[in-house]
Amino acid sequence: MNLDMILFYFFSSILLLSSLLIIIEINTIYSILLLVLSFVMATSLLFLLESEFMALIFIIIYVGAISVLFLFVIIMLNVKITSSIKDTLKYFPIGNFLGLVFLIEILLIIFENYKTNSYTNSFLFNFNINWFYKLDSITDLKALGQILYTHYVPQFLIAGIVLLIAVVGAVVLTLSPKKVYIKTQDTFRQVSR
Amino acid sequence: MLIYEIFKNYEMLFFDATIKESIMSLNEVSIIFPEIFFVLSILFLILHGALLCTNKSKNYPLIQNSILNLGILILIFTFILVCNNLILLKYSFFNSTIIMDNLTISSKQCILIASIICLLAIQEYLNDQKINSFEYILLILFAIFGLILLCSANDLITAYLAIEVQSLSFYLLAAYKKNSVFSTESGLKYFVLGAFSSSMFLLGSSLIYGTTGTTNFEDCKDLFFYAYPGSFLIEDCNEFSQILNLNLLQFGFLFLLISLFFKLALAPFHIWSPDIYEGSLTSSTIFFAIVPKLSLFILLVRFFQCSFYGFIDNWRYCFVIVAVLSIIVGSFAGLEQRKIKSLLAYSSISHMGYSLLAFSTGTLEGIQVLFSYLLIYILSGLCIWSIFLTLRLKNNYLQKGNKDLSDFVLLVKSNSVMAIFFSTVLLSLAGFPPLIGFYVKLNIFLSVIESTMFFSATISIICSVISTFYYIRIIKVLYFEKGLVGNLYHPIKYKNALTIGFCFFLFIILFLNPNILYFYSYKMCLIEYPL
Repeated sequence: MNLDMILFYFFSSILLLSSLLIIIEINTIYSILLLVLSFVMATSLLFLLESEFMALIFIIIYVGAISVLFLFVIIMLNVKITSSIKDTLKYFPIGNFLGLVFLIEILLIIFENYKTNSYTNSFLFNFNINWFYKLDSITDLKALGQILYTHYVPQFLIAGIVLLIAVVGAVVLTLSPKKVYIKTQDTFRQVSR
Repeated sequence: MLIYEIFKNYEMLFFDATIKESIMSLNEVSIIFPEIFFVLSILFLILHGALLCTNKSKNYPLIQNSILNLGILILIFTFILVCNNLILLKYSFFNSTIIMDNLTISSKQCILIASIICLLAIQEYLNDQKINSFEYILLILFAIFGLILLCSANDLITAYLAIEVQSLSFYLLAAYKKNSVFSTESGLKYFVLGAFSSSMFLLGSSLIYGTTGTTNFEDCKDLFFYAYPGSFLIEDCNEFSQILNLNLLQFGFLFLLISLFFKLALAPFHIWSPDIYEGSLTSSTIFFAIVPKLSLFILLVRFFQCSFYGFIDNWRYCFVIVAVLSIIVGSFAGLEQRKIKSLLAYSSISHMGYSLLAFSTGTLEGIQVLFSYLLIYILSGLCIWSIFLTLRLKNNYLQKGNKDLSDFVLLVKSNSVMAIFFSTVLLSLAGFPPLIGFYVKLNIFLSVIESTMFFSATISIICSVISTFYYIRIIKVLYFEKGLVGNLYHPIKYKNALTIGFCFFLFIILFLNPNILYFYSYKMCLIEYPL
């Protein structure tokens, strides 16, 4: 087991644990912080795979923008911590039974699938190609750009439209014609307080 | 070493092909010209609306009606462009992520016509509900864009993005009336469940990508060229199925199917739909109920009939169980409903069950019957929801959107023509003989029996008889209720009356001459089979 594998197992186990704890944790602030932790772990996994651009984008967007936004929202909202143990007990037997069955099935199939290379005994087995000479040695960002702006132009544009819909929706859902309900900052009161 | 040389040559050939493809791609833009036109005009509508309704010198005009008319105009132009785009052979474009065949063009035409009629129907309702902001129409147009894109998606990424465009706008349409608790609640519910099912879709497509190395339906078809229906059941016969372990791929299918069943509101995944139909504005509900089903089924057909046709036998049991379950749920739970909207929601669940039953046969006839059934479903939905929206009660409480069954008491006294139309459509939905609904339902049962699924056919026929009860109960309320006083309704606008009459006469004409429907749906099902 080389260093790569050790690091991989370390990061992925922390990722799994923290993402489990996000759901279990009752206090929302803690679960947001755990979300940040899981994003950081996912980033380090991406670094191990040498896709630096994706990793940095993950950090910048998910940790830098979205989780911090969540934190601000939760700080502002005055959420009461309510225990959900009652509901958990009510749904525990059947929900967990179904979930466990599903999980075990998936795990069985995954372990079976990746135990051996299924092509080993067939004529489809790969012969050795030195991929290093086949690949262009360009940076991550360049490669992404080359794919995105040549093969996937319509998809890229549609993703832009999705963002536009999100903007329109945010305006529609938050903008109210009556000014009464909007809480605004009164600078004078704040300073003279 | 010889193999290596061949491999190298093949690679060179492939490289040439990609270069050629990139040169050709300038021509490809003309293929998605209707979509480009559609999106650009929506963007212009946004600019137009935003600049005009914040204009102080014009005293902040209400432009919602004019935007709606402009939207209809855009849809008509897009329809003309789609018709003009006719291609007789199948072509796939943009690195074969977008496909253009008869199925695409015909379904786009259907969706555009259906949305034009929907937009015509909702105009008065929007004025009554005082939905004065123009963004409502924009969101509807965006949803239609997502739907017509989904018809031509030949790639999991494109399909996901199209579903996302459509469902994001649908969440917003559900939550649009901010001062109503029901509307916001249904919007939130729709958002949470929709996001959940979208993430299921992503998980499934990532599993498929992980096992096959491609997200493209065309490539998947090439990858499993050896597979034919049933080949995975008889493992000894197929050399390939011994080599490859495809169980993980099947898990990908499972997640994908769950997400699509969520979107189609089929039986174990249907619980959201009556709530959301009931809570959101009726003008949004008409879109949720009518338009998206066709393009979601097209995605299913492309997935299981084109690219993974060999695997359909592993999933037929799943399809049949889900279909029969949703038929049962739709017909039994509908008996309890007193509100028309949730009744129609359950009715749509059972209709989706019939469509999935036709799909699960996996034959060409089944697909043809599926499309003809969906077309008639859209037609009857248009008629029923337009009548529902245009019959506005004359009382002081105009904003009451949801109608009980008792709101239609003795409609025959106050508006007898509308009562006849309404009851005819309901009878067609139930499947009575002198109407087109009978013909398509009969065809579904025929195609199911022909593929020897006798048990499910029997259950669905019995459930169809049971579900007739709640359709006929509405007719009883319309005609024979013992009440002294009926309700008075506002007069119906000329264009609404025209569209409702048009839909109504189609029911009878299509029964007398079902060849039109037959040929149209046959043209739609001529997708390229791998065999």
